[in-house]
Amino acid sequence: MDASQQGFRIGVDIGGTFTDFHVLDEATGAVYTGKRPSTPDNPARAIIEGLRALATWHGIDLGALRRLSHGTTVGTNALIQRRGGRVAMITTRGFRDLLEIGRQTRPHMYSLVEDHPPPLVERRHRFEIGERMDAAGEVVTELADDDVAAAVEQARTSGAEACAVCLLFAFRNPEHERRIAAALRAALPQVSVCTSFEVQPEFREYERFSTTVLNAYLQPVLGRYLATLEKGVAEVAPGAVIGINQSSGGLMSPERARALPVRTALSGPAAGAVGAAYSAKRSGRRNVITLDMGGTSADVALIRDFQADISFERDVAGFSVRLPAVDIETVGAGGGSIAWFDRDGLLKVGPASAGADPGPACYGRGGRAPTVTDANLVLGRLAGRGLLDGAMALDESLARDAFAPVAERLGFDVERTAHGVLGIVVANMVRAIRTISVERGYDPRGFTLMPFGGAGPLHARDVAIALGMREILVPAAPGILCAQGLIVSDLKEDFVAGECIPADAAGLRRLAGQVESLAARARAWFDAERIPVPNRRLELAVDARYVGQNFELTVPLAAEGGAEPGGPVGTSARIETAGDSGNASPAEAADPDRAARVSGIVPQGEAGEPAIAENAGAVGRAEASISTGSPAADAPIPMPIPSPEALRERFLAVHEAVYGYANPHDPIEIVNVRLTARGRLLDEPDLPASGAPEPLLEPLPEPIEHRTVRFSPGDPITCPVYHRASLRSGHSLTGPAIVEQLDSTTPIFPRDAAVVDHAGNLVIRVGAGGDDQ
Amino acid sequence: MDRNARQDMTRHAEGGARHHTDSPDHTVDPITLEIISNALRSITDETFVALMKSAYSTNIKERRDHSTAIMDASGRLIVQAAQALPIHIASMSGLIACLLEKFAGDIHDGDLFIANDPHTAGGTHLPDINYAMPVFVEGALFGFIANLAHHADVGGMAPGSMAGGMREIYQEGLRIPVVRLFRRGELQRDIMDLLLLNVRVPEERRGDHYAQIAACRLGARRLLEVVDLYSADVIRAAFDEIVSRTERRLRDAIAEVPDGEYAFEDVMDGDGVDTVDIPIRLKVTVAGDRAHFDFAGTSPQVRGNVNVTMNATQAAVCYALKAMLDPEVPNNQGVLAVADIDAEPGTLVNGRFPAPVASRAHTCQRIIDVVLGAFRDALPDRIIGAANGANTTAVFSGTDPRTGNSYLYLETLGGGMGGRATKDGKDGVQVHITNTSNLPVEAIEQEYPLRVEEYSLVEDSGGAGRHRGGMGLRRVVRPIGHDCIFNGVGERFRHRPWGVFGGEPGASGRFLLRDAGGGETKLPDKCGERRLARTEAVVVETPGAGGYGIPAERDSAHVAADRGSGKFTEGYVARYYGGDS
Repeated sequence: MDASQQGFRIGVDIGGTFTDFHVLDEATGAVYTGKRPSTPDNPARAIIEGLRALATWHGIDLGALRRLSHGTTVGTNALIQRRGGRVAMITTRGFRDLLEIGRQTRPHMYSLVEDHPPPLVERRHRFEIGERMDAAGEVVTELADDDVAAAVEQARTSGAEACAVCLLFAFRNPEHERRIAAALRAALPQVSVCTSFEVQPEFREYERFSTTVLNAYLQPVLGRYLATLEKGVAEVAPGAVIGINQSSGGLMSPERARALPVRTALSGPAAGAVGAAYSAKRSGRRNVITLDMGGTSADVALIRDFQADISFERDVAGFSVRLPAVDIETVGAGGGSIAWFDRDGLLKVGPASAGADPGPACYGRGGRAPTVTDANLVLGRLAGRGLLDGAMALDESLARDAFAPVAERLGFDVERTAHGVLGIVVANMVRAIRTISVERGYDPRGFTLMPFGGAGPLHARDVAIALGMREILVPAAPGILCAQGLIVSDLKEDFVAGECIPADAAGLRRLAGQVESLAARARAWFDAERIPVPNRRLELAVDARYVGQNFELTVPLAAEGGAEPGGPVGTSARIETAGDSGNASPAEAADPDRAARVSGIVPQGEAGEPAIAENAGAVGRAEASISTGSPAADAPIPMPIPSPEALRERFLAVHEAVYGYANPHDPIEIVNVRLTARGRLLDEPDLPASGAPEPLLEPLPEPIEHRTVRFSPGDPITCPVYHRASLRSGHSLTGPAIVEQLDSTTPIFPRDAAVVDHAGNLVIRVGAGGDDQ
Repeated sequence: MDRNARQDMTRHAEGGARHHTDSPDHTVDPITLEIISNALRSITDETFVALMKSAYSTNIKERRDHSTAIMDASGRLIVQAAQALPIHIASMSGLIACLLEKFAGDIHDGDLFIANDPHTAGGTHLPDINYAMPVFVEGALFGFIANLAHHADVGGMAPGSMAGGMREIYQEGLRIPVVRLFRRGELQRDIMDLLLLNVRVPEERRGDHYAQIAACRLGARRLLEVVDLYSADVIRAAFDEIVSRTERRLRDAIAEVPDGEYAFEDVMDGDGVDTVDIPIRLKVTVAGDRAHFDFAGTSPQVRGNVNVTMNATQAAVCYALKAMLDPEVPNNQGVLAVADIDAEPGTLVNGRFPAPVASRAHTCQRIIDVVLGAFRDALPDRIIGAANGANTTAVFSGTDPRTGNSYLYLETLGGGMGGRATKDGKDGVQVHITNTSNLPVEAIEQEYPLRVEEYSLVEDSGGAGRHRGGMGLRRVVRPIGHDCIFNGVGERFRHRPWGVFGGEPGASGRFLLRDAGGGETKLPDKCGERRLARTEAVVVETPGAGGYGIPAERDSAHVAADRGSGKFTEGYVARYYGGDS
């Protein structure tokens, strides 16, 4: 890549308390980080202020800022706080109550008062229209122009800012939705219009309608926010292209975000998973379980072969969303989680949290409830002077006061009580991890635990012990892994076609037609986003099931594109994928819900990524062979369609992996075709060239202090405290010790060994420190 | 015949307060107890998911009509999976009690027991097949890993083993007493062959059995891991603590209920054979932390299959207690111990051999309404108006003209939830004992030669009140290009769901036949097979629910919303709330 095009790229992640920045200097590979207090009233303000501050602090030329990748919680917050736009809905006659009925279930089996939230469109603003398609997409009832005009008039008089068009079987034949949307757009140019076939053209009307209505609800809010952001960024960094993070862990342009804001609704934790996957790859760890623990909750995710798993069924603030999203399990376990006695006298921790304000008792802001952070302070695992910037001292006596009544009721001393509270919060996180690992057929003992977020590293060791995990990898900047994930994210677009296709020879010819039309849309998207051909990659998967079953499994079929190392521009690569390789077992390679994957950066063996290329043998996922196609500048990426036999074989492998059995002879059908397009953005040599850990240059730095820590309830141990920044690649230490950094603390337990690897990660090996220390 | 201790007329506080720790000085502090409980809950959740994933039956995979549990050596329920349906709480412990009685002294490591019979083996209906695997620690019986799954078929006169019109248990399918399917680790092939010969699609049922077997083994392995970590004595002490603390917790809640005698009565529409207006009578006596439930005066058992065994009655009463007093209380023997029930054998709520029981869910729903009704003066803020009180079932079957294959589409529909002390009842929802999903319209039409013409809330169906009752559901279904067969089972199609404290009753449900000209005629409430021409459609309307408090006290903004939403007609609003609010 032309050096003159190099500059900076910045990832910005907005949290409830802080807005985090991660800056990459493309020319040197240097990395800078920063934090600003978030500005919830106008989140863009913290971004613009932060950019200016970065320019001052690090002498960054904002004129050379090429890309600003941004994870926003504006949409998520609008949903939680019910502050979206006023929405009208136009739907098939006879079905306006569908949005309200949902799946006719209640959220809590035994509660007579808990309900799913009321729909975001009032019933009087749900307008029915005479029209009907059948399951094959044939028109049963024609749509009359007069009725369209009447519906437009109803939408107008409702005063809606946004209108969702949701018709039955529109995923099979969108013609009626198109006509209604066109009429709305022509007559009501100020109203945002979205259709169910554009938002998510898949069958199951409730989930599709719900997702579409959510999208409409968020359009006005996100539209306003993006306008403010773009204006501000244009002023300070006119050359920067903005990318908005999606729930599935890839970026989209502000234009796409305006049209499909619902894709940001679950994006919060997604960037963290991408950042974790990237860190895992740089350290050569294929299989990682992430533990992102903040103030109120902990998110856990599974990364296999350097990619985070994807799920298609999530909900946000109680609303069903059927869109690809990083598969994350959340549990109410954070630093602010409060310890309390249940009615049967058992001690519980969370999900109630003291939050940031008043926060844990030790913050001294009036909080009285005993929290996890207070427990860590009592045990000496956290320092009384607070974290390294020292801006917020912690008052241990307040923490002890908060724990005194709990300890008294238990008849324990305060230390044992605090230790018990940590045991419970760890048990809660362990349960969440078992859900995404053991319950899905993966043994956590084969994974590395990667804690991040402010509180993750504090509890990682207890979590690892409970799950039998032997290795913990604390990334270099655990507090801003999300912002880092944004920098390494691909531009990503998911294309889907919902059509029921039998998996026989004739059906696969239809599939080929579907794939070609999806690929054409993908090419148009690549062109519009100006993704150079070598950086284009397509991943094809189908949702398939046995005929007559009500649930389908995602079966990955092919991945095409990406660059051959050192290949000429315009080379299209052909990659045989999953299941053909001896590297991964078929059951592992082909996995449902996990067909589409998130990765920090696209395939293995990139030029300029020596750390990874060196490991290519171990890294090369399921891809076995790469053959070069013709070097035409804009050649379409070939996308092979498997034979019926090959498709069956892959489906059976997935079925076997998920359900433990497969019927080899039962007929199979395809219900959705999914094509994921990725445009690789980070194509320059971005990583400091390095191989194995460098030899130790010098002895361990001086500890910044010694303090008394209770690693177990009984015996306090005085141990050294190191500043993370003073630990270099190759440094190793043995517990007991404490490693502190700007926003996180990592205890190294007695008899554990820790080493800083070439990528700056702190790798802890449980029990590897012997007892000679 | 077929009578055993489980069919005694009373179900008293059994087991709950029993302490039998070998070393009484083993106490478990509340922190360790919470962590151990967490580990045990992980076991039932993991086995729940494992069973769901590896089973064949749609009931298990899609509707999660299954359950997993841990019992101690004396058969007490210690932990049940969080997602288990309320109806399942009693039948697994029912199996263990029968097992312990029948096989006392003859239980060995590697044995695996199986049963389903409601009359001899603690079951609630035949499709629910129970498994129990004893777990041994150092040669001594330590506890059981149990699970239950609703198989898609257990033989009998009709596919699915659930049809209406069955008059004795033999018609409902294969009855399995407690038998040993594995003896010291060895599969008794003769028994498996016998089980499979008597059911439809035996290959699939074999898969369901193997899923249950695998879930038992997984659970046993996990339980032993926990025992290894803490020692058998500590875990036994934890079992005692879990049960006694739960019982204490629920009894404390009962102690807050004013002492007194409370009574209620309701009637079922009919059994679909020859009995109508079937009364369920209940007298509850609350004294201190005890609540006694006496069903004296309830109808004798009936010929149709709406009878309920004692275990199912107990499950319904426990559900109602939990829902009123403490929805978060864990499901274990401590809950069952609190439900102190008297019900004469041979009555609707304690059916005796050969009572058919397949449609027990309708009756369980009604028992819950009756329990809630009984507490109306004792716990006015905790109870709700009568809900749709049914498990409205609609079945369409025929031959698909596109493929020539036969098809069967079965669905159970929700309806109104009763008005509540603080807000209206939810519209169009599954209530109480069941919580299964609907099938999407786009799934139905892709799969079957049927068209769903309407899926909506039934106008005016929620009973008026300060907080109105929820609304029933309407589904209109038409066969496309062929004639088909409809059959349906409805309850509260004649007796409307009552309101409380002056709330009005909700609308009853009905099945209608819509002819080619759009005219509608009523079909029977328990509708046997009815031929449906391609020009006709069936309209299913489920019951609404009763209101809470007198309509005159309804907030005017809510009245305006009732009208503005179009859920209620002008006439209805004028009748109950006055014309001009």
